[in-house]
Amino acid sequence: MTDRSDQHRPSLFAFLWSIPLFKRDPLVAADKVTDRALVSVVAIMTFLAALTLGAAQFAAGTAAHWQVMMASEVTVQIKPQGSRSIEADIVKATDILRGTSGVTSVKVFSRDESAKLLEPWLGPASSIESLPIPRLIAVRLDTAAPPDLAALGKTIAETVPGATLDDHRSWTKRLGRISDLFLIASLSALVLVLAATGLAIVFATRGAMAGNREIIEVLHFIGADDHYIAGQFQSHFAILGVRGGLIGGAAAIVVLITIHLTGRLSAGLLEGASLSELAFPGLQIVGATMVVVALVGLIAGIASRMTVHRTIGRLA
Amino acid sequence: MQAFSNRPLGELVRFENVGLRYGVGAETLTDVSFAIEPQSFQFLTGASGTGKTTLLRLIMQALKPTRGMIALFGQDTAQLNKEGLTALRRRMGIVFQDFRLLDHLTTYENVALPLKVQGREEATYRAEVTELLSWVGLGALMHAKPAVLSGGEKQRASIARALVAQPELLLADEPTGNVDPSLARRLLRLFVEMNRSGTAILIATHDLSLMDQIEGARRLVLADRRLEVEVNHD
Repeated sequence: MTDRSDQHRPSLFAFLWSIPLFKRDPLVAADKVTDRALVSVVAIMTFLAALTLGAAQFAAGTAAHWQVMMASEVTVQIKPQGSRSIEADIVKATDILRGTSGVTSVKVFSRDESAKLLEPWLGPASSIESLPIPRLIAVRLDTAAPPDLAALGKTIAETVPGATLDDHRSWTKRLGRISDLFLIASLSALVLVLAATGLAIVFATRGAMAGNREIIEVLHFIGADDHYIAGQFQSHFAILGVRGGLIGGAAAIVVLITIHLTGRLSAGLLEGASLSELAFPGLQIVGATMVVVALVGLIAGIASRMTVHRTIGRLA
Repeated sequence: MQAFSNRPLGELVRFENVGLRYGVGAETLTDVSFAIEPQSFQFLTGASGTGKTTLLRLIMQALKPTRGMIALFGQDTAQLNKEGLTALRRRMGIVFQDFRLLDHLTTYENVALPLKVQGREEATYRAEVTELLSWVGLGALMHAKPAVLSGGEKQRASIARALVAQPELLLADEPTGNVDPSLARRLLRLFVEMNRSGTAILIATHDLSLMDQIEGARRLVLADRRLEVEVNHD
């Protein structure tokens, strides 16, 4: 008769079996095809949701980095004014800037450098020699103790006619708005992906309960109450959801960290960022992905619970 | 198996003028009235299609009567809520004609199911279930799944599942319908032993020879949609 009995499981397998995430719930007949399909769908959804969140996080971080960079630098533009010597005006402006507390460095762009900047619009520097090209002074600020830019701009404008100070505020605001819009779009996509995950679990739970109708009937006849039966199905599908979430989350972490470390996303965007700023991208990515996995687990639990309670009432 | 004690007195089942109609057709059962006393033994018989299974389904509350009154363990079933219905079903054991074993569970797990759904820890019933399985001759097959059991073994597992919670009333629908006469006699002895230990038994069957083996057992005979009660005095 031994050939008709189940063999004893090896101890490692028995140990894994005792862990809730690996444990098959005995009262719900496992449909391997359906269960695997559900785990795959949830894993894919979690992967997409984590990628979306990772992209949003990356965009927000990059925008914030740019904003800091832009806020730490201002530009003084000096336009040629008739017979006035522009070189003398530059000297006056740089003297004022160097004498201002909170200014860490001043870099004057030469006429050739300025012409080079205009080259994409006006052509080679040699052909615009006769044009009155404005001159630029790049000013780096101490972000911890920046100068009063309004007062500085006023002083420069009064001392050097035709000189203006651009603090990039309008660009910073636009960048902030774009970053916010991207964040909203990403979070909307995240919500939709999570909603789709919930729907997948609802349909899988409903299908499984319809398929297990006879088991539910037998359980009722032998004295199981709705709460007990619901608990069996609920935990079965919640565990599948969490399992899919963990698989998708792990894959997303690997991909996000790989993308980040290989610099495919950051190439060109974070130019100028110091190594320390790029050194530990993993912790944030892992944290955000774990939030997604936790959300997927929560949604799996809620979706299966709601579906089970609704369906069981109809089947009873 | 221990005899039950502290049994409540009074009828386990009472039908009064019960009628059942499926849809808008004629009644399947008409004016059915009878009672089942504690520790009694009765057969429910009648030709095929006379409503034996329907009557059992009325008792197990899988169907609601179109008219009349059904009381189980002294409670009018029309007044029952879900919790009350679950509590009553826990006082009954049911042997289905088609066994209704859960294919993905082992014999042991199937038999232990009524205790498990009551929330009991396995440690508190493991010995009990193992003993019962040995008693019905399935001790060596407790880890086997229904797919590898013979018809008779499945029937015994089904009977063991119905008995494991020591019900006050056992309903069995054609429990010997799928087995040979020798096994049928053995299964019947099982029911008699259960009855001696305090369980009221209602067996639905059309096997006259089976009924003749139990002296004094009442016969609830279904014919022409109505029920008549006879007593076998042999």
